Amino acid sequence: MSTTVTQDMSFLHLISSASVLVQLVMLILVLISFFSWWYIFRKLFVIRNEIKKTDDFEDVFWRGVDLHALHQRITSARYDSGSLERIFAAGFGEFNKHSTGSDLDAIMESTRRAMRATYQREMDYLESHLSFLATVGSVSPYIGLLGTVWGIMNSFRSLSSVTQATIAHVAPGIAEALIATAMGLFAAIPAVVAYNRYASNTDQLATRFESFMEELSNVLQRRAAG
Amino acid sequence: MSVSVLRNSSYSEPRILLAGVLAVLVHLVFIALLVFGLNWKDHPPEGMVVDIWTELPKPLQEPVKTKPPSKQTKPAQEPAKPEIKKPEPVKPDPPKPPQQQAAVTPPVKKPDIAMQQKPEPVKETKPDLEQQKKKEQERLKELDKQKELEKKKELEKQQELEKKKESEKQQELEKQKELALQKELEKQKEIQKQKELDAQRQREQAAKAQREAEAQRAAQQAAAARNQVTNEISKYKALILAKIRSRIVMPPDLPGNPIAEFSVTLLPGGDILDVRLSKSSGHVAFDNAVERAIFLSKPLPLPPDPALFNEFRSLNIKVHYRE
Repeated sequence: MSTTVTQDMSFLHLISSASVLVQLVMLILVLISFFSWWYIFRKLFVIRNEIKKTDDFEDVFWRGVDLHALHQRITSARYDSGSLERIFAAGFGEFNKHSTGSDLDAIMESTRRAMRATYQREMDYLESHLSFLATVGSVSPYIGLLGTVWGIMNSFRSLSSVTQATIAHVAPGIAEALIATAMGLFAAIPAVVAYNRYASNTDQLATRFESFMEELSNVLQRRAAG
Repeated sequence: MSVSVLRNSSYSEPRILLAGVLAVLVHLVFIALLVFGLNWKDHPPEGMVVDIWTELPKPLQEPVKTKPPSKQTKPAQEPAKPEIKKPEPVKPDPPKPPQQQAAVTPPVKKPDIAMQQKPEPVKETKPDLEQQKKKEQERLKELDKQKELEKKKELEKQQELEKKKESEKQQELEKQKELALQKELEKQKEIQKQKELDAQRQREQAAKAQREAEAQRAAQQAAAARNQVTNEISKYKALILAKIRSRIVMPPDLPGNPIAEFSVTLLPGGDILDVRLSKSSGHVAFDNAVERAIFLSKPLPLPPDPALFNEFRSLNIKVHYRE
């Protein structure tokens, strides 16, 4: 343990001896990295949960359950419902309000509008913070690079006062500066990977939601006609 | 109502805190990686920091320090001898003074007592001779007793004096001993100092010898290096000449032994930059042949050490017609 402590001290020393701007860049990168990882995990849980709920609901729905009972169950279980369940609830609720038997096209149109509104809201929720991950993925390498370039500039500027230039004069400064790039890349790489994965996941979910909306409107139309 | 409730429910996100904890964990792992990554860079400098010079002198000093203790043991034996010697003179001294005093004092006091006692019996002799005799006997007894008492007192005094003297002598002896001890300690210290000084001198001498040896070595090395350099230079000059000679197509039947001198400017690597005829041999055919040979023999052989190239930058080449 004692050895790791001294090494930790040397690592801290390396960071603390960097110039103010490099330290600032490192601080920003640490914060960015932390928030990006936080969102990565949050979105991971949200999207996994969403996919599982969607699978379950589609299972239940196509097994031919009574739609009224299903609707009742979903509205009673407020906080445990998935996006697709909420879309179904919105559509079926809207359809039921028109059940007095007016124009079929108007009923279907309003039902579809209700479902689309909920769908938009749900997609908005699913895609929230994904733009943050994309920004982190594209910007944090540049921030890290800025810190590195600044650090290297400083180390070379200090080299100008030395008559005999050796690599030992520049090396620590560059090592310091490169920590900034390392941090930037550490923040960027997982953010990019996570963004791509979650974007494709939400796209898949969106197509599933849309196709379900079409199928549900067909089912409801048949139900209204028949 | 149901729609608004559903909308609110959609923002209840699962496991936000767990996500935060996981994010912190990931960063801890990253920091650990950074620390362990720098770990590798930290070890070589530690090896470099070790100063051989600060450690070498210590072993030289330590053996010197270890010697003094062995010398200290010898001084410890020396003080023991004076202690044995000094008690001896104590014994002969005390017995003499008591004898002298005892011999001198009693005779002086006896006459006084005798003078006081004798006149009285003379006046009272007639009335009672027996009584007088008795009285005289008693007086004599008393005198004897007094004498004995006086003797005892004198003896006691003498003994006291003896004791005092003895104690004084002992004190003196002790003082002497202390002085002797102090002197010995001082001697020891001086010896130690001398030894330390000697050791220092030896060290200095050794250091000087080392320095001189190093200087000699350096000088020898420098001389050797110079010799090597000159050897190299002459060797490669000979090689260059030999190479040029081997390329010369000698014009036949020239009279005598004409000499052509060329000044050649070289580039690093042995390429020829410029060839100028500095002194003609008097035969154009020979001069041309040598010039052609110089150009043909490029690259010229040069020593591998680039530091020596300065010696070859501008060469003066003399070519004899006959060797």
